[in-house]
Amino acid sequence: MRTDFTLGSCQEWPSGIFIGFVCVAALLASGCRKPVAPRSDVAIEYGINPQPVLVGRAVLAVNLRDAAGAPVAGARVNLEADMSHPGMAPVFGKTREVAPGQYQGSLAFAMPGDWVVLIHVTLPDGRTLEREINVPGVAAN
Amino acid sequence: MLVPGLRRLFHWRHLRTVLQIPLLIVSVAMILDGLLGPSLAPKNLATTLSWVHFRGALVLVLLCAGNFFCLACPFMLVRNMARRFFHPRWNWPQRLRNKWLSVGLFALILFCYEEFSLWSSPWWTAWLIVGYFLAILMVDGLFKHASFCKFVCPIGQFNFVASTISPLEVKVRDLDVCDECGTKDCIRGRRAPGPDLVVVQRGCELALFQPLKVGNMDCTFCLDCVHACPHDNIGILSRLPASELMVDPRRSGIGRFSQRTDLAALAIVFSFGALLNAFGMVSPVYALESWLAGILHVNSKAPVLGVLFGLILVLEPAVLLGLAAWLTQTSGGSRRALVPLAVRYTYGLVPLGFGMWLAHYSFHFLTGLYTVVPVAQSAAARLSWTVFGSPRWTWLGIPMRFVQPLEIGFLVLGLAGSLLIIHQLAEGDCAERPLRAFAPWAAVAVVLWVAAMWMMLQPMDMRGTFLAG
Repeated sequence: MRTDFTLGSCQEWPSGIFIGFVCVAALLASGCRKPVAPRSDVAIEYGINPQPVLVGRAVLAVNLRDAAGAPVAGARVNLEADMSHPGMAPVFGKTREVAPGQYQGSLAFAMPGDWVVLIHVTLPDGRTLEREINVPGVAAN
Repeated sequence: MLVPGLRRLFHWRHLRTVLQIPLLIVSVAMILDGLLGPSLAPKNLATTLSWVHFRGALVLVLLCAGNFFCLACPFMLVRNMARRFFHPRWNWPQRLRNKWLSVGLFALILFCYEEFSLWSSPWWTAWLIVGYFLAILMVDGLFKHASFCKFVCPIGQFNFVASTISPLEVKVRDLDVCDECGTKDCIRGRRAPGPDLVVVQRGCELALFQPLKVGNMDCTFCLDCVHACPHDNIGILSRLPASELMVDPRRSGIGRFSQRTDLAALAIVFSFGALLNAFGMVSPVYALESWLAGILHVNSKAPVLGVLFGLILVLEPAVLLGLAAWLTQTSGGSRRALVPLAVRYTYGLVPLGFGMWLAHYSFHFLTGLYTVVPVAQSAAARLSWTVFGSPRWTWLGIPMRFVQPLEIGFLVLGLAGSLLIIHQLAEGDCAERPLRAFAPWAAVAVVLWVAAMWMMLQPMDMRGTFLAG
């Protein structure tokens, strides 16, 4: 008696060859990495107050400098904060330019835990930049 | 099923494949986004779909229907496609024909979830999915039948235990028809006429002989038995949820629950693991971890987690269940030995455990319900598919104030279900003094319920960093 789930004629590959193929494919896949973004000529520096960061409103100061160290004025800088766990409410904040190249805004951290702040920058020439900042262990106020 | 239309649907041979294909496409998308997409978990398909949507939809479908996620399992689609080209040669080893391996893997997944903060890592989540595909291809590539489903798959074991609560079951309509059946296609498969006896429709690969099958344990809802039965005598039928936990017949492919220490261990990891998994997301756990780290003089997470897992999955059940079993034996007058008694009553905790999983996973699912939209929009935009518009990152889900009463409701229902099951078990076990047998186990259930309620009311504090703050 033959047990065969195929009704047509198919080649029977030895199990070992198939499993070997699967292992090789997995090994090759382990080299997958997301493409690395090219380095920008604009440096994004930041500071968050208070330290340590607590639940509630925190002030973020963002400085933009070009390759020569000169402040980059006239950019649009928006803030976003996400928790490390998916499905949790993000918070958003805008900034205003308090001095050439210096932008200040605030974010309201809604709960304790690990957060990631995203600084979205749109330069005067239209280019966009983004910087991720880990803000671990935001504590209850 | 007697619902018009649905009966034809579930008898359609290709229903399973049609359900599996979109989930396979989604799985591939999750793997690719996890490996190549944003590293921020809320913006990645792998983490968002796995830890918010899949888990939540899974428990809600198990509550409202049955083990339909196993029916639509994309891993099995790949495995079935691979089996068109090669045939496994060996039977699953006799010594491993139990749940101990899968219990260990289930606990390991819970451990890795905390150790590697899987919820926050698209990379590791993608590799978990890849690992699952590789594991099923390797196991079912070497061993016959559905060895991976029955003896290995941690998600499957979770589904099996949870589906004991489900309102639907694959079962025989009329046992008299089975008595007249001479071919037993439901388990042997249906064969084409001819000398070769080629199987054209396989029977149950999990060794569940339909006339003797009781309940949903080990049933993947694959519907092979439905398609194989020549008398159209098997269907998806409704039943009283959790009723199978109250009885202890000899079940086809399983035996008696009361004699399966491994199944009881699975029920323990299921029930106590629910508390452990939620405990990792509330503030007090970090103070406890810091304290443990100080006592152990360690800086890394693994030893502290190991101690916590040992306490909650091993020591705590041993103490609580052992004490309850001893009290049932001494004051209730049960004639069972201590360990078989503990094994028998352990299944009574499954409804409460399921209530905890429901409360936890449905919370993330419902409060983050719409987040799949902006994450999918963002993934599409990275492929230059702008037809879906720019991501609506403000789309979230149902507000927390509406979800929290639901969570509490799930916990209350879980406790009620457990108390009902335990009462039935006590009446059957100690007919003369059922309340004395019931009381210790009811107390265990109440203690666990109080712990679950306390946890639900704690402020959430989700951290992947160790000893931070």
